[in-house]
Amino acid sequence: MNNTLLELKNISYNYKNNLILNKVNLKINSGDKIALLGKSGSGKTTLISVLNGTIKPTQGEVKLFNKSFEQLDRKQKRKITTIWQDLRLIEDLSAEQNVNCGLLAENNFYFAFKNLLNISSFKKAHKYMQLCRLDNSIYNKKIRSLSGGQKQRVAIARSLIQGSNILLADEPFNNLDPKLITTIKNLLLENVDQNTKKSSKTTLVALHRLDLLNDFDKVIGIRSGKIFFNIKRTNLNKLHLDKIY
Amino acid sequence: MNKLKLNYTSLSFLPILVCIPLGYQLITNIHFGGFKLFQEFLISAFNPKIDNEIIITAINRLNQTFLIGFFSWLVSIIFGAIFGILSSNIFYKIFNIPKFFYSMIRFFLTIIRSIHEVVWGILLMQIYGINFSIGIIAICIPYIAVNSKVFAEQLETINYKSFESINQINAHKFSSLLTLIWNPIINTFKNFGLYRLECSIRSTVILGLFGIGGIGTSIFLSFQTLNFRELWTYLWSLAILIILSGVIYKKIKFNNTNKILSIFFIVVFFITILFSFFYFLFFIFNNNFENFNSVSSLFKSSSNFGLFDFLKLIFDTIILSLLSTGIAISLPPLVIGIFNNNTSKIFIKIFAFLLRLIPIPVILLTLLTFNNPSLSLAALTLGLHNAGITSKLLFTNLDSQDKRNYIAMRSLGISKNTSWLLGLFSQQAKSYLAYCAYRSDIIIRETAIVGVIGGVGLGWQLQESLSSFAWQEVTIVLIAYSSIAIVGELINGKIKNSLT
Repeated sequence: MNNTLLELKNISYNYKNNLILNKVNLKINSGDKIALLGKSGSGKTTLISVLNGTIKPTQGEVKLFNKSFEQLDRKQKRKITTIWQDLRLIEDLSAEQNVNCGLLAENNFYFAFKNLLNISSFKKAHKYMQLCRLDNSIYNKKIRSLSGGQKQRVAIARSLIQGSNILLADEPFNNLDPKLITTIKNLLLENVDQNTKKSSKTTLVALHRLDLLNDFDKVIGIRSGKIFFNIKRTNLNKLHLDKIY
Repeated sequence: MNKLKLNYTSLSFLPILVCIPLGYQLITNIHFGGFKLFQEFLISAFNPKIDNEIIITAINRLNQTFLIGFFSWLVSIIFGAIFGILSSNIFYKIFNIPKFFYSMIRFFLTIIRSIHEVVWGILLMQIYGINFSIGIIAICIPYIAVNSKVFAEQLETINYKSFESINQINAHKFSSLLTLIWNPIINTFKNFGLYRLECSIRSTVILGLFGIGGIGTSIFLSFQTLNFRELWTYLWSLAILIILSGVIYKKIKFNNTNKILSIFFIVVFFITILFSFFYFLFFIFNNNFENFNSVSSLFKSSSNFGLFDFLKLIFDTIILSLLSTGIAISLPPLVIGIFNNNTSKIFIKIFAFLLRLIPIPVILLTLLTFNNPSLSLAALTLGLHNAGITSKLLFTNLDSQDKRNYIAMRSLGISKNTSWLLGLFSQQAKSYLAYCAYRSDIIIRETAIVGVIGGVGLGWQLQESLSSFAWQEVTIVLIAYSSIAIVGELINGKIKNSLT
């Protein structure tokens, strides 16, 4: 049975005459837990942006559920969520309002309005914030007043609350202390929707730290915009790493 | 020999050179007959007329002024926000609307704001006659366009990455738009609202000078009868109104997490939109359009303009704008830098407040008591009034600036003036010049007021053409005005972008 969720076919991406992605082919199947390795500037963030449809590749084809992004409706597009490396939170809103933004897609305009007026329910947001070990004293604080680690967890909570099937995360462990890294990693890899108790299963995480690879099934190595290996984690050895670092 | 290098600090002082030709013409135009009048005008400031009758009149007139100013402000800030959203990049990105519409709406708003409210006022008065609504409509038309620019500029500062992340959540487009623009809109309202209210009240006063009513009309009548004591009673009461509105505005804490206040503002927002719409319909259907036939004749009648005369008027208007801008840019840092002590600062602040408070036509008419009408006098008037505004901004920025550099320089034994220049002002020069670039847009539009009163440039021609119902000439003058203002706005926009 074909259980491919996301597929990249011969993807290239040029930016200001620089080839950022070079003929990338990739299939992501349902339930995959993938670690994306590569040096800074190797094209990890661009690859994630192509996967979530934010960047249109210069060449090649991206398919989600066997359809191109243009053919997808809003409901299908919602099945993918991203934790950005630069977080992309709304600085002027509070932490709980930012987490509630993750619910905008499944609610109507009135919800957005209530969220901004601070009169919407934050029950669900608080639940995810607790999961991310955020202290309730910061719930109504503006993003600009939070520490790097707190912001990071707000961004993670905002992604998790969406309950999407596919989670893309770009270096989500930045700014976190070792204890929190373990908690967050478990949360991302389990990626269970707290309401339906269903696991969304598919996760791709870009990271630098090799000691965090344990719970992943697959490892992809990228260098200069080219995928050098796409293997099972258990097959990863020093030679593979030498190719990309 | 080393090449002369201009930096932002020196560029802030260089425009004062306009004072050389300007000063020359002003000195040659002095007539001593009116000095006594001028002296009387100044003395009356300390001895305003205070009796029951005049206080009641002042209160009634202030009431009218405040009502026109407040409603103009409310309508223009709300519709300004709506048009600001419609003319911002973010709206077109979220709804995937072709950029053509974005350019069209921006161009339309640029034309609308290129014409000063006084011009709109005079024009509307010619068509509809004098009534209360004309004041509000005349102010609202350009102010909506001006406010929309302010709101759009703030919305342009929304981080593109925040837009991408909200867009990626795939929410309803209106939800995404609202979430992204909410805070920039509230912040713009908080930061610019009071200033715009002050502008609205000032514009009402100026329109009052042209007969709309309110305190402006009383000021003008007092000036015409040379009753300076009465004039100063009105000016001081206007000062009280402006200061009071500022104090009240600052007292209201626009906290967007305050639910009751937020809901109140939203109710006011929708009521204003509905009320404006129905009032506009009422206005249209309850006015006679007798003079509208004259307007339609603009396509038939022929113009008496000579090309050379017309080009000279355009040239005069441009020169007037440049000279006034030069004074408005350089005078505040020069005066503050030279008289750099606490006592002088208080006097400069009071003087700047008076320059902002006294309507431009009154400053011009006062100066005309001892100087013949000329382009230089008009430029000096406009320059001084705007210097009052730029100096307020400069003071605010300097007062909130980190003073460590200044203290360090003083501790090295460097003189007070040099330390101020290099340790304080030099850090503000860039942003100060950026603000002045914006201010010069307004100066171009304000040339209309001094033109009408002082007999200079296109403003004067507009008044002449309107008085004789020469609608084709009016149209030509308005097109010329618009073109100068649009070109000025483009140039100033480029300068501002290079400075920010």
